[in-house]
Amino acid sequence: MTDSSSVAPAEPRAPDADFELVQRSIAGDQRAFELLVIKYQRRIERLIARMVRDTDLVPDIAQETFIRAYRALHQFRGEAQFYTWLYRIAVNTAKKALLDLKRNPVVYEGAAPGGDEDDETSRPRREQSTEETPETVLAAQEIARAVNAAMEALPVDLRQAVTLREIEGLSYEEIAEAMDCPIGTVRSRIFRAREAISARVRPMLENQSGKRW
Amino acid sequence: MELDEKQRELLSALADGELQGDELAQALALCGSDGATACWRDYHLIGDVLRAPELAGSSDSARLLLRVRGAMAEVPVPAAPAMPPPGLPPAANDPLFRWKMVAGFASLAAVAAIGWNSLSVLQEGTPQGAQLASGQPPRTAAVTEMAQAGPQTMLRDPRLDELLAAHKQYGGASALQMPAGFLRNATFEAPQR
Repeated sequence: MTDSSSVAPAEPRAPDADFELVQRSIAGDQRAFELLVIKYQRRIERLIARMVRDTDLVPDIAQETFIRAYRALHQFRGEAQFYTWLYRIAVNTAKKALLDLKRNPVVYEGAAPGGDEDDETSRPRREQSTEETPETVLAAQEIARAVNAAMEALPVDLRQAVTLREIEGLSYEEIAEAMDCPIGTVRSRIFRAREAISARVRPMLENQSGKRW
Repeated sequence: MELDEKQRELLSALADGELQGDELAQALALCGSDGATACWRDYHLIGDVLRAPELAGSSDSARLLLRVRGAMAEVPVPAAPAMPPPGLPPAANDPLFRWKMVAGFASLAAVAAIGWNSLSVLQEGTPQGAQLASGQPPRTAAVTEMAQAGPQTMLRDPRLDELLAAHKQYGGASALQMPAGFLRNATFEAPQR
């Protein structure tokens, strides 16, 4: 089993939306940058969590990553995807934080030759942090179960559309070709699928830790 | 602000990067509202969880967002240059352009300085280098050249002139092994040697 999270994961194509949000952030619209934070927070935290032993550090390093990114936004020129750029900032921030703490960074190189991702001895166990309590772990599992259950309950055409989009990373045009339907229909199906899943997940999110947002 | 279905569909398409033109502008205009933030969070959470279920368990996103928001308030984004459209990436050597301009101006300044110096030398008359290259002895002695130089006066010890005049026939060769008008080479050798 390979650990795809140790490298920049394949991201469905969304360079234009990110670029537009970056431009709006630079122009002074902080809410636009907050949308980027919301979008990438989970992936950035997972990346950082795989670099540090103490997961108590994860939120602080994630915060520092986004602040550094915000300060350096004017340097983002759209040549690479925003997440690729953010990924580098996160890795550098995590390394610096570990150096500051005089700890040894534990960087998982999933693609490194000879690396055995299934060998538990090659990977230090993550310590449970104060943020990662049994309750939060359980809540996360419930959310994942709810999303999957909602997916199973979707009509076939909606499930197929959202699967091709979210898991396969196809564009609307490619999905339309695969499903033999207009692009507008693809957009509508994906939206309705998301609405149906969101209706089941949102109450859980709002009940988790009081209110998450 | 609660969003209607059409607006949420726009946000869904924005999350996929599938909007352009007016629709993109409309969707971006919605981004400031709390309703849009909630939709945006849900849509991305669903995608993340479908791709990797462990992403459902992130830290308290609201707290992170509050901390980032506080930091952003303290650190405004520095003024940025106009960003190029994504379709026209800038040249890879753009960051070096300024240094190349500096190097160009430095080269130009160096050439100008050398040219000015050369011009000054040419205007003074035949350079010493030309005399040396000709391989011919100077037409006159150095003393004569200095005498013909015009109103220039040289203060020197007359006893030195007498000494040089008295021992001219014993003058040794110049250290440069060739006539050099700008050097006076005085050698004194005792008659008994």
